[in-house]
Amino acid sequence: MAATQFAYALFACALIACTPSRKNLGNTYRGVLASNLKSFDPAMAQDQYSNMCQFQIYETLLEYKYLARPYDVQPCLASAAPEISDSGKVYLIHMKKGVEFADDACFPGGRGRQVKASDFVYSIKRMCDVRTKTTGWWIFDGKVVGLDAFRKASESLPPFPEQWHPALYDEDVEGLRALDDSTVRIQLTKPYPYFKYILAMPYAAVVPHEAVEHYGEDFLSHPVGTGPYLLKEWRRGLRLVFDRNPKYHHGFYPREGTAEDSAQGLLVDSGRTLPFIDRIELDIFEEYQPMWLNFLRGNLDRSPIPKDNYGEAVMPDKSVRGDMAAKGIALFRQNELDVRYICFNFEDPVLGKQKALRQAMSLAYDAKQGMELFYNGRGVHANSPIPPGLFGYDSTWKNPYSHYDVDAAKSLLAKAGFPGGQGLPEFEYLTVAGSDTRQMGEFFAQCMARIGVRIKVAACTWPEFLERLKRKKVQIIAVAWGADYPDPENFLQLLYGPNESPGENNANYKNAEYDSLYRDMAVMQDGAERSAKIRRMQEILAEDCPWIYTLHRLNELLIYKWVLNHRSHGVLDAPIKYYRIDGALRRSLLPGAGG
Amino acid sequence: MTAWKASRPLRKLLRDKLAFAALAVILLYAATGLLALFHLAATHYRDSVGPAYSPPGADYLLGTDVLGRSVLERVVHGARIALVVGFVSTGIAIPIGILFGLLAGFYKKRVDDVIVWFYTTVDSIPYILLVLALALILGKGLISVCIAIGITSWVGACRVVRGEVIKQTELDYVQAARAMGAGDIRIMMRHILPNVLHMVLIQASLLFVEAVKIEVILSYLGVGVQGEPSWGVMIDDARIELIGRGAWWQFASATGAMFLLLLAFNVFNDALRDALDPKSAE
Repeated sequence: MAATQFAYALFACALIACTPSRKNLGNTYRGVLASNLKSFDPAMAQDQYSNMCQFQIYETLLEYKYLARPYDVQPCLASAAPEISDSGKVYLIHMKKGVEFADDACFPGGRGRQVKASDFVYSIKRMCDVRTKTTGWWIFDGKVVGLDAFRKASESLPPFPEQWHPALYDEDVEGLRALDDSTVRIQLTKPYPYFKYILAMPYAAVVPHEAVEHYGEDFLSHPVGTGPYLLKEWRRGLRLVFDRNPKYHHGFYPREGTAEDSAQGLLVDSGRTLPFIDRIELDIFEEYQPMWLNFLRGNLDRSPIPKDNYGEAVMPDKSVRGDMAAKGIALFRQNELDVRYICFNFEDPVLGKQKALRQAMSLAYDAKQGMELFYNGRGVHANSPIPPGLFGYDSTWKNPYSHYDVDAAKSLLAKAGFPGGQGLPEFEYLTVAGSDTRQMGEFFAQCMARIGVRIKVAACTWPEFLERLKRKKVQIIAVAWGADYPDPENFLQLLYGPNESPGENNANYKNAEYDSLYRDMAVMQDGAERSAKIRRMQEILAEDCPWIYTLHRLNELLIYKWVLNHRSHGVLDAPIKYYRIDGALRRSLLPGAGG
Repeated sequence: MTAWKASRPLRKLLRDKLAFAALAVILLYAATGLLALFHLAATHYRDSVGPAYSPPGADYLLGTDVLGRSVLERVVHGARIALVVGFVSTGIAIPIGILFGLLAGFYKKRVDDVIVWFYTTVDSIPYILLVLALALILGKGLISVCIAIGITSWVGACRVVRGEVIKQTELDYVQAARAMGAGDIRIMMRHILPNVLHMVLIQASLLFVEAVKIEVILSYLGVGVQGEPSWGVMIDDARIELIGRGAWWQFASATGAMFLLLLAFNVFNDALRDALDPKSAE
């Protein structure tokens, strides 16, 4: 009974949360946040939801180009692309002059001051201070000269709330310096080719020390940045409202684009000052149904398509259905930079030792049907960890064990000494509890049953899952990885030996040749040589079979046509500063929409 | 003496047509569950028998689910789980309830104080949370669900037995037994227990219903049985496919099966209570 009442209470909350008003829409974008937001602190920018919210407020030295594919970066707070030394290790970055922080009570007189190079240095140091408990230290770990020593030294500082700005911050870190008010010099330990992407990550955003000191522990809910929007209202678990930042003048709509972009009307606003939209309202929906119904009523401008509503929205030929199109809804499709996979733990005495068993299981997994069942076919068959859209992805290369072939699987299993699965123990497939994930597990078990391998599907909570990964107490797990930055290294590191649990190599896979190739390619500029090394790594992985590849997802979104300039981006979730609302179109399509 | 006592309620029970029908339904479930338990029915509940989401019809009597598995087989397998959970957890809870109830009611004073304090404490913890916590500690699976339900749901039985025992200890036959020099244990087991057993029987059948319901809730929340179709798991599956696809058959089958079993039990319980209540005259 208690559970039922609890469910009702939740439902009631959801109803209150899910009634966005339609009165006086004005120049407002109404979006969705599919999960509760935890923090606005860039040091905690771990998930895509906080990334999306922070993108509206904070800025980094570099930012992703909105229209360019393959993905590339451009200056944001920087005035030009970094000057990189011949060794590839020293970055000299000049910053735009005259950019100011938003007006906020934390500044003297409430007026935001000019952004300086020292603000960037401060922001990185603060993030790397162990006391901020950042989830993003790994982006700089071992990469910047002297920064690791700084982090070590910060361990001896008194805990917060004492010393928000310790003397340690003013000491010089060799690899991270402000040469003058507008020049930053970064010295790397190795010539990481993807470091430019790191400078575009929300973790590397520039924050004013005044806000950190003024708000203390409450800084997470008082963002003060240089970006296009200000946080107006944050009702926890319900909604977020952003207003345009009147002091933001340094962003412009991209001028370059392909003929295709131009044909899609994406270059109409070329060169105009951003942003176009005055107000952003993000409603938080943790359940799909209320979000979906609100989208259909026109209360939201954009929505993902829930799996079980797919048939309502999309025709079998993958075009949007007629009644949807008549409402002014358009479908956007975008390759996600991710890979979903089923991972074997190499510390397991059976799974880790029997290569043929792993290969047989990989052959027995019907990835195509799984994609159909759980993703409505929205995906790309995966042959290696590297998703389409990244350097090193080769659509012509085929992994010999990633297709579905039960007969081949059976004979491999027999050759390995387990004909029909005889002599094998029952394996545990661990997943995070949820209806979908359980069904995926049952599907995996069904596939394995066809070759006689017995699988027990077990589910647990997310923290428990992480804990068991950390302690290597798993056999087979289902995991996904989304790109932090668009470089294949970000995916290949998932199987690098020294990254074993508690690191990201959850398979605890170790292969000396692979590891050495990884160390080479990680610090190599894109080119034929890097490409050859990546190819060899993919071949090693295919043969050793530490993972069964599920798919690379294809993201599909529905969006009302009155949102102009929309283009899906694999890294940026909703770069709203580029969007423009056609108010007249919205008024004509949405009866009752004022403003 | 026992024969005479049992026959009157039994006659009364059998005369009640509704109760008889309910009993028939329960026996039908029990038979199905037993068949599934000994792998004589619903052996293919893991296998795809057809395309995903086929509606009920001649080919698939109750339709198929997301992986093309037969909903009928899954419902039958669910009956097996329900019966196992019902019997095992009742079998755990009732002896605990009887033991504590007897001790508290018989010895009264300090023993009673301690036991009453203990079960009041157990009872004051929200039930579902306690079972959830236990299911997490014991690890998941059918057996831990049974244990968790068993060791948290004995309070009702204990309370009833305690009250009844307090009443019985004042009666002449207990005084007589004591005067004849019978020991505590003998008095409790041989004299008092048979006279409170009818209450225990009613409690047990109530508990059975409760255990089936709790298992469904736990499985629905994902901490119940693992890797097997329970009705709760099926309702969880159906929750997402119901609104989006209008696939109602899995939802209807699982809730229908549960509803019928629980209704039959409730009807039967009422009749049982009427029949066993000494106060209701012939």
